[in-house]
Amino acid sequence: MGTAPAQLFPEFIVDTLGLDSVIGEVAASLVAAFVVGNIILAFTGVAGPWAKRKITAAFTDRIAVDRIGPYGLLIIPAAAVQLLAKELIIPEGVDRPSWDIAPILLPASALLGFSVIPMGQLGPINLHLADPEVGFALVFAFASIASVSLVMAGYASNNKYSLLGGLRAVAQNLAYEIPLIVTAMSVVIFSGTLQMSGVVGAQTETLVTIAGVSIPSWYAFVNPFAFVLFLTANMAEIGRNPFDIPEAPTEIVAGYQTEYSSAYFVLFYLGEFVHIFLGGAILAVTFLGGASGPGPESIGFIWFVVKIWGFFLFTQWARAALPRVRIDQLIEIGWKGMLVLSFANLVLTAVIVGVIA
Amino acid sequence: MSLERPDTVDDGAVEQTPDELEALLGDLVVDRDDHLNAPGFVIRPDTVQETLRTLKQEAGYDHLSVVSAQEYENRYESIYHLKKYDDPTQEVSIVVPADKDDPVSESAEPVFRTADWHEREAYDLIGIEYDDHPDLRRILLPETWQGHPLSMDYDKDRPQIATLPEHANPLEDHHKDAESDTMFLNIGPHHPATHGVLHLKTVLDGEQVADVEPDIGYLHRSEEQMAQSGTYRHQIMPYPDRWDYISAGLLNEWAYARAAEDLADIEVPEYAQVIRTMGAEMCRIAAHMLALATFALDINGDFTATFMYAINDRERVQNLLEDLTGQRLMFNYFRLGGVVWDLPEPREEFFSKTRDFLDQLPESVEEYHNLITSNEVFQMRTIDTGILPPEVAKNYGATGPVARGSGVDYDLRRDDPYGYYDELDWDVVTEDGCDNFSRLLVRMREVEESAKIIEQCVDLLEDWPEDERNIQANVPRTLRPDDDTEIYRAVEGAKGELGIYIRADGTDKPARFKIRSPCFSNLQTLPEMANGEYIPDVIAALGSLDVVLGEVDR
Repeated sequence: MGTAPAQLFPEFIVDTLGLDSVIGEVAASLVAAFVVGNIILAFTGVAGPWAKRKITAAFTDRIAVDRIGPYGLLIIPAAAVQLLAKELIIPEGVDRPSWDIAPILLPASALLGFSVIPMGQLGPINLHLADPEVGFALVFAFASIASVSLVMAGYASNNKYSLLGGLRAVAQNLAYEIPLIVTAMSVVIFSGTLQMSGVVGAQTETLVTIAGVSIPSWYAFVNPFAFVLFLTANMAEIGRNPFDIPEAPTEIVAGYQTEYSSAYFVLFYLGEFVHIFLGGAILAVTFLGGASGPGPESIGFIWFVVKIWGFFLFTQWARAALPRVRIDQLIEIGWKGMLVLSFANLVLTAVIVGVIA
Repeated sequence: MSLERPDTVDDGAVEQTPDELEALLGDLVVDRDDHLNAPGFVIRPDTVQETLRTLKQEAGYDHLSVVSAQEYENRYESIYHLKKYDDPTQEVSIVVPADKDDPVSESAEPVFRTADWHEREAYDLIGIEYDDHPDLRRILLPETWQGHPLSMDYDKDRPQIATLPEHANPLEDHHKDAESDTMFLNIGPHHPATHGVLHLKTVLDGEQVADVEPDIGYLHRSEEQMAQSGTYRHQIMPYPDRWDYISAGLLNEWAYARAAEDLADIEVPEYAQVIRTMGAEMCRIAAHMLALATFALDINGDFTATFMYAINDRERVQNLLEDLTGQRLMFNYFRLGGVVWDLPEPREEFFSKTRDFLDQLPESVEEYHNLITSNEVFQMRTIDTGILPPEVAKNYGATGPVARGSGVDYDLRRDDPYGYYDELDWDVVTEDGCDNFSRLLVRMREVEESAKIIEQCVDLLEDWPEDERNIQANVPRTLRPDDDTEIYRAVEGAKGELGIYIRADGTDKPARFKIRSPCFSNLQTLPEMANGEYIPDVIAALGSLDVVLGEVDR
C-alpha cells in the first residue's frame, strides 16, 4: 500500500472510452457524478424507509417492517410511492421562493460534499470524482451550506416552531462547526496537505506491529482524543441525538420541517440522511483511513461503505439511548468545552509534530 | 415501623374538636351543616377569605382539597373542603351559601392559590360568581358557551354553536405588538408533548418562557353530569375508568367505591379488600410505567428505547390485570361492597404469573436507572429544572408524586387508611429535590413499593381459607342514601388525591357528584415551575407532572 493515488473516476471514463474532447470530458464528469450521486441516494433509500426502522426496532425491542417482501425490503418502493403521492400542502404566507429552495439546498449541499470524497476502489474503478488541493476545506464548506437551508426553511415557513428550529440550527452549527474544523485541522498538521488523497495516503503507513498484525496509522489510532472530539462535534453538525435540537419533535414539533409535506418533506428527509452519510464519509477519510482495510486495494469501496454504515448505525444507537441536551447546554458545551479542547488539541498536535518531525 | 407517622408534633398535627373550631371562628359561623366526613360550618359569602385564613393559619388546615359548588331550590352553595397535609383525617367543610338571584361569593384565591381553577370551574358549570377572583373566566367550556350546564334552569336542548367570528384569533388584538420582544406561542392542543389535548398559551422571550398558561377543557365529557344521572348501585362504576384512563382504572373505581360505601354504610369483606389493594397497586405500576415512558420520550426524543422497554413492562402488568378483571383498560371490576368476581381459576397460575412479574421487576427498574436516571445528560436536563418548593406545592393543593417529589410527606394510603394498606408493610416515598428529577425518582421508587404491596397481597390471598373467600357484601339492589347527606372521600390515585363529593337527596341517584381530580390541581402548578425556564424545561416539567387530560377535564 501507499502507492500513488489511482486515476480519478472521470479520467478513467475518459481514458476507457477515448473521449479526448472538452465535451467528452464534461460528459464523462457528468456520468461519473451521476453514478456517485446515485450510489449515495441508493444508500439513503435503503437507510430511510428500511434500515433505520429495522435498527431502531432492534434497539427498542420490537419488530419493524417485515410484511412487504423479503425482510420487509419492498417497503422501500412502497414508502417512495406513498410519500410522493401525498398532497403538497403550501401554508398561507410562506416566503417563496426561499420556502421552495430550502428543501433542495439541503440534499444538494450534502451531495456536493461527496464530489471530493475518495470512496475507494471497486475493481478497476476508483470512486473519486475530484481531488483538488483544498479538498479538505471544500468538504466542510459544502457541509456548512446545510445550515443556510435550515434557516431558510425555518424563516420562510411562517411558523413559530419552524422559526425556533431555524434559529436553533444556526446557534448549534456555529457552536459546533468551529471545534469540528479546528479538530480536523490537527489532522492536516499530521498529513501536511489539504488534498483528500494526501490525507488518506498518509494514513496507510504502519503505526505499530503487534504479533504480526500491523496496525495502520489511522488518525483515530494516532490521536484518539481528536477522534472522540471530532465524532462528538460531527453528531452535532448532522443534528442527531443527543444534539437533535433543531428538530426536537417533542419540543418544537420537528422545527424547520414542520410545514413541509410530500416531496419537499422527502427532500428534507433525504438531505438529512445524505448528511449523515457525508458525516460518516468525512469521519472515515479523516480518522479511519478512508477506504483502506484488509485485503486488496480493489475492494476498498466495500470498506468505505462499511465505515459509513457503521457511523450510521452509531447515530441510530445514540438516538435510541441518549437524552437530548438543552439548547443553552449545547451552546455551553460547544463554546466553553469543545472549542477549548479542540484548540488545545491543535496546539498540542502542532508542538508534537514540530518537535518530532 | 413504616406506617407510623413522624412523631414530630407541630401545630398542624394538633387535632381540634368541632366545637373548638367553632369557637375559633367565632362570629364567622352562621350555622352548622355537618357532613359525613367532616364538621361543616356555614359562613356568610363575604367572609370566605377571613374564615379560610383563620383556619389555615391558626388551626393548620393547609390543604384545600376541592371546592364543590351546587345549586339548590333556594340558594347556591360553594363548599371548601379543607384538610391538613400532616393528617388528612382532620377535615372541615366550609359551606358558603350564595343568593339565588345574585350568586356572588368571595373568592378564596388570595388564601389558597388552588381555589383559582376550582372557582373558575364552579363559575363555568354552576354559575356562581366569585368576588376578588383574579381571573374569573370559563375554564372547561368555550368562552362562547351560553348558560351554566349544572345549574337548575339550564336548557339542555339549546344548541351551542360557536361561530367562527366569535372564535376570533386571540392573537390579533392583544398579543401582536410591534414593540414587544416576546413571542406568543400556542403549544398544543395538538402537540407531541402535551400527552393529550392540552393547550399551553406560552409567551416566549427568545428560548425562555416568560409566561405559560394552561388552557384545558378539550376533553371535557360531562363526567359529573353523567354520574349524576346514573344510579349508585351499578350505573356509575364504569365511569371512573374513563377519568385517568392510563390503566389506573381500579384506583379511580376505588375513589367512587370508597365515597359511596361510606355514604351508604357498606362494610367491604376483608378478602375483597385484599384483592382491591392488589389490583389497585398493579394499576399504579402500570400508570407509573407509562409516566416513566412518556417522560423519557419528552427528554430523550421520539426514538428512545426506554419508552418501549417501559411499555413492555406495563404490558406485563396489563396482562395480569386482564386475567384479574377480564379487561385491559376499562376494568369495571369494583362493585359497591366488593369486587365483581374472585381471582381467575386456576389461582396458582395467576399467582405464579404475578410472582414472575414481581421477580423480574427489580431488574427492569435497575435497567431504567442505568438508562436514564444515572445518565449524566439526563441529570443535566432534569436536576434543578422545574422547581416546585413544598410551600408552593401545598398552596396549589398538589398531591401524589408531585407533592412527594417536593418533600411533602402526604399519601392517603398511609395517612387516611382504607382497603388493606394499614395491615401491610411498605413505605411512603418522598424526595427533597423539588425538581423534575425528583418527581421521576418518586415514581420509580413507588413502583418498587407497589411491588412489595402486591407481593404481600399475593401471600395473603394464597393462604386465604377457601370458605372465607367472600368477595361481595350484601348490598341492597337499590341504594337510596338519606336525604341531604353529604360526603367527601378521597383515595390515593396514581396521580394523587382522587376525591369524590356526593350529596344524596333520598333518590337512587346522586344530587351532586363532584370529582376532585389530582391532575387538575397538579397542572395548576405548571406556571410556577416553568416561568423563566427554557422551552425544553417546560416540556420536561409538564412530563414530570404526569397529567392525564381525561382526568383534568373530566
